[in-house]
Amino acid sequence: MSGTLRWNSADLVEMAVTGQVSQPAIRQGAYLHGPDGRATTLPGMYGIAYNARVGDRAFGWAGDHVEPGASIAHPDEKADYALHYLTCIGNAAEVVSGRARGATGIVTGEHARLLVHLPPEALEDLMVGDTIQIRARGRGIRLVDHPALEFKKTSPALAAAFGLRDESGRIVCPVAMELPARIMGSGAELNAEFVDQDLMSGDRALMAELGIDRMRLGDLVGIRDVDHRFGRSFRRGWTAICLCIHGDSVMTGHGPGILTLITGPADRLDFVLDPAANIASLLGIRSLS
Amino acid sequence: MTARHTPAANLADLVAVSVAGAIAHPSFPGLPAEPYRLAADGTAFLLPTWGGLVYNVSVGDRAFGWAADCIHPGVSIRQADDMKNRGLLVYACVGNRAKVMTGQAAGARGVVTGKSGRFSEQVIVHFPKDVRTTMAVGDQIVIRAEGVGMTLTAHPAVLLKSLSPELLAALPAREDGERVAFGVTARIPAHLVGAGLGLSSEGGNVHLQSTDRALLAELGLDRLRLGDIVALDDTDARFNHGYLTGARAIGVISSTDGPRAGYGPGITVIMTAPSGELGCFEAPAANIADLLALET
Repeated sequence: MSGTLRWNSADLVEMAVTGQVSQPAIRQGAYLHGPDGRATTLPGMYGIAYNARVGDRAFGWAGDHVEPGASIAHPDEKADYALHYLTCIGNAAEVVSGRARGATGIVTGEHARLLVHLPPEALEDLMVGDTIQIRARGRGIRLVDHPALEFKKTSPALAAAFGLRDESGRIVCPVAMELPARIMGSGAELNAEFVDQDLMSGDRALMAELGIDRMRLGDLVGIRDVDHRFGRSFRRGWTAICLCIHGDSVMTGHGPGILTLITGPADRLDFVLDPAANIASLLGIRSLS
Repeated sequence: MTARHTPAANLADLVAVSVAGAIAHPSFPGLPAEPYRLAADGTAFLLPTWGGLVYNVSVGDRAFGWAADCIHPGVSIRQADDMKNRGLLVYACVGNRAKVMTGQAAGARGVVTGKSGRFSEQVIVHFPKDVRTTMAVGDQIVIRAEGVGMTLTAHPAVLLKSLSPELLAALPAREDGERVAFGVTARIPAHLVGAGLGLSSEGGNVHLQSTDRALLAELGLDRLRLGDIVALDDTDARFNHGYLTGARAIGVISSTDGPRAGYGPGITVIMTAPSGELGCFEAPAANIADLLALET
């Protein structure tokens, strides 16, 4: 029962951080290369994705690294890092300038920019450059009786929505699917507090065989034999619970973005498969049934 | 030992071009002065890292156990301008000849032994130890870059990367019909391939992950030496580094181990194929210090 879990939520500090809706940017020579070298140009990153929402499929878009909803960033590098490191999944967001002012949304991911879900009608009124403010809360969150577990980017709202259970001292989290450690790719060079690590979808037959190609944006996923405390690395006996934040990619070593939420030793953290484990429904963003 | 055998390649068509760089100075992030990096267990560490002139670590030495974070053996060079540096990183091939053009070591000859990856972006060049003592940070080094565009005549599915004709000629190789195989000191399973995945396989390396030290010891990977030829199983490095069942990449250990999560010895990939066209066989002595007869 999650009701028996004690969080330190009363100790968490809530702060405002802001970002501006980004404009898609393409570098000169805009080609992305597939595994066989074939070049393509595809949309996906930055900007406002009107028709890709959290809860939608992660695979099959004619896009690359599709970021659902509004992608926001702060123009000042240091302020942008604060936006990245303080914002948690499930934090409340509000449009504070422009025609969509007053519209409210929810943070659903962190890529090179923060990803905010807003109602479709609010997206219609949103302008590139509009400011969105987030009430950042969750950095420092922990389960009082489970010090071996580390939570990242977990808002109190998400903490309550995970559906965590304490089974004889081991926390068990429902996840939509399991990913094998050997396909965890781009992002191994980053710290685990920053953005995501793509699953490598280049082995298309393996994606189909394991059902990974049915992943949805917002799915919770479990990975065994990885330690995501201080970076993301292969280590037997450790487990991570993660979140799919962006769509698939054509590039080798890339694929849907997998953001770390919980990590801990396998005797303290486990997961069970539940196809409904997606933040779109868990956070009340939209019904997926 | 089988007789040395070199698969046929388009050697007559290759263009040799100059690329240059200056000996890089080690660097750390600026204010607030936090020199520490995080080890995989979360502890802060402060150790020598990439760049500069490294006097006492050379290709052929052990890759593990140094009090260091991904040190480049010998001399690291780069261009100040990022686009020119990209040219240096992409064109330089392992085994290419280098020559010092300025400073007290002017005229000394070296050999390219590897490249580094994201955040460091340097080319690694071997010079004899006594030459290193006469060199200075900033000295200009030119490389006779030759190898980009090289293909194996009978094996079009094998893509060559950062590989010079000199090293190709020196690698232990076997050909059997459409399959070609090269000698390696070790095979690295895909789940231990780390930082560098998803990044360029032309001008950047990929790292063996060393966080699970016990596993490395079980597999004997903690005995790897700088310069060892290794195989990466189920790894497709044709266009970026990534996972693919049945694919293989072969590379050279070019930097030492380090404590960061996702990192470990850096590997400069020299060839790859997607589905079984590239084989490997055990060759415990396959190290470029010997293969390229590097002067100590």
